[in-house]
Amino acid sequence: MSQLQARDLVRSYGRTPALRGVTLDVDEGEIVAVTGPSGCGKSTLLHCLAGILRPDAGEVIWRGERLDTRSEAARSRLRRTEFGVLFQFGQLVAELTAAENVALPLLLAGTGRRAAREAALTWLERFGVAELADVRPGEMSGGQQQRCATARSLVTEPRVLFADEPTGALDTLTGEQVLTTMVRLARERRTSVVLVTHEPRIAAYADREVTIRDGAVEHSGFDLSALSTGGDR
Amino acid sequence: MRPWALLRLALAGTRTDTVRVLLTAFSAALAALAACAALTVLAIPTPMATPGNMVRWSEQYSNALLREPGLRGGTAFALVLLMIPVLALAGQCARLGAPARDRRLAALRLAGATPGQVTWLAMLETGVAGLLGTLGGLALYLAGHELLHRPDERGQLALPTDVLPHAGALAAVVIGLPLIAGLATALMLRRVITTPLGVTRRAARERGPGPWAGVLIVAGVAAFIVGWPVLLRRTVDGPYVGYALLLIAAGGLVALLGVVTGTGWISHTTGRLLRRYARHPAALLAAGRLTADPWAGSRTFAALLAAVTFGAGAAGLRAHFVAQDQLTRRQSRLAGDEWGANPFYLSTMSLVDLAVAVAVVIAAAGLLVAVVEGVVARRRTYAALTATGVPRTTLAWSLVWQAVLPAVPAILLALTVGAVLSRAFFGDAERGPSTSSVCEAAVQLCADPATRDQYTRITESPAVRAVPDVPLEHLALLGGGALAAVLATVAVGLLFLRSSTAVEELRAT
Repeated sequence: MSQLQARDLVRSYGRTPALRGVTLDVDEGEIVAVTGPSGCGKSTLLHCLAGILRPDAGEVIWRGERLDTRSEAARSRLRRTEFGVLFQFGQLVAELTAAENVALPLLLAGTGRRAAREAALTWLERFGVAELADVRPGEMSGGQQQRCATARSLVTEPRVLFADEPTGALDTLTGEQVLTTMVRLARERRTSVVLVTHEPRIAAYADREVTIRDGAVEHSGFDLSALSTGGDR
Repeated sequence: MRPWALLRLALAGTRTDTVRVLLTAFSAALAALAACAALTVLAIPTPMATPGNMVRWSEQYSNALLREPGLRGGTAFALVLLMIPVLALAGQCARLGAPARDRRLAALRLAGATPGQVTWLAMLETGVAGLLGTLGGLALYLAGHELLHRPDERGQLALPTDVLPHAGALAAVVIGLPLIAGLATALMLRRVITTPLGVTRRAARERGPGPWAGVLIVAGVAAFIVGWPVLLRRTVDGPYVGYALLLIAAGGLVALLGVVTGTGWISHTTGRLLRRYARHPAALLAAGRLTADPWAGSRTFAALLAAVTFGAGAAGLRAHFVAQDQLTRRQSRLAGDEWGANPFYLSTMSLVDLAVAVAVVIAAAGLLVAVVEGVVARRRTYAALTATGVPRTTLAWSLVWQAVLPAVPAILLALTVGAVLSRAFFGDAERGPSTSSVCEAAVQLCADPATRDQYTRITESPAVRAVPDVPLEHLALLGGGALAAVLATVAVGLLFLRSSTAVEELRAT
């Protein structure tokens, strides 16, 4: 069942068009890779789907209701509770420890300090960085930071995870380790994932690939899971 | 590197760099104006004593602050004090756009510049901006000197537009201010390592600031409470007056330094407490910032706290004058008349209050630059947090917490230190014993030497002493004003939060 739908999305930055009528469905528990060359509109599509940006035209439907027409506060609330968002870098708060960073979405949702910290520690453990709980981002490697950021994006157990080039700043091995864990945990929880990448190797972790070129869907529906060799994608 | 190439590279940059240069030049112009004004006051010649002018007043001025030789030093000192918030403003401006400048300097290192050359470039940028500003300030001063030279109907001047400082003194300002600005930049860059791959800052100590700022405050106050009365007794003999003034200046500076550095300790301690007990993410974010860089509070509030400390001292002096006035009236009532102390001193305090208000406004401008810079420098993190669903109001509240938490205790500390210093320096209001004759008869009888003595009684007033009231009202007004200035600057800074959390910032380099 499609829980997230985009219909004829159009979005421009000034005179430069980024999306020219993109239509896309994301099913529950489905992992969709959005691929394409740099500047094709992949990130813009992800931002529109996550309610970070409003499309100039078209509509985004979340579980049967328009998302793009909701207020900024309502969309923020949705991103805090139902969605998880993960970027390439620059998302951890430098002054907070890893545990505090991961606990932040829970604290925003009203969870108590102790419970939020315990949940944060559990998620850090799942990503193999529990020993860094009281360490600040500046003292971590890029891979460790990205594991913490991924843990933070999943700590609220979102229905959809939006990941924009999540391994773009990491070396191949570290990137694969982060992605493997992320995909495994998402599958276990039937969390849908919209994964923006320009690397075919990363896209191979998805169930389906949607290729964007010049702001429009060039290719969609290719079932990548048929190519998979293992369960931990 | 040839000087021209060095200058060209120093002045290359983005729009933010241009804004930084303009603001630095503006601050330097203000500082130059204050310095020139102080030098002009000091350049006023004191006339020779004549039978008609034994007190050697400069009668060409309508303002007593310029007319009386004894008050001119204080007036010049107050003008020099105004330079403190101005220089602090320049310091804040120098931090504006630091990340962009860091990237530019790293790119220059990548192109082959040595670490020394990079430091020179940064110094030169600030120095050139400072020089341009100082020259602009000097031009404004000279223009004002001509335009404001308007004697009144009695031929008196409101401002000392008939004198100019010595050319050497003006040259010292033109050379000195840019030099200070350049050296301050080099000082700020001492913890910065610019490599071809980027700019890193030497990690701050994990341990927070110690409470040694308290030692400075105690030492400064002790200089006033203990040292000053001892030296004052010896000052009557003459040769120790220089030492006494030095002690007071040093004690005041040490106490002020204690207040400013104490803000670092306050920031760190409140941050730690908040971190332990905070339940809301806004408080947690603020606590993280306060503990990670406790000196940010000292840096941003330094000028404001200096102004508040000085203002609290001035409030104490005003309370002293009021108490003196009441004693004079009490004594004069005993003699059958009523007159108060010279009202000039009380009215002069209004001018001092005005100077403090101007200093608070200038300090608030520096604070605003710091708040905006803080928001802009962290725009990527803020944008990422907003994208993940953190409400902007949470980020806004974290900025408010971050400013108000250290500001409230720091302002209270500055008020206390200023009031205590003033109380210790000026002491109790007192008047010595006095004898006066009062004629209690009609004017005619009192005017006649033959009958006057018959109706005249001699009244003797004993020495009187009064403890000046703590000027709570003034202190509350000053503290409230300073806090309002902090809140106003944060409110203006928050206007930049929306643009800084736009999703486009995630793509910014």
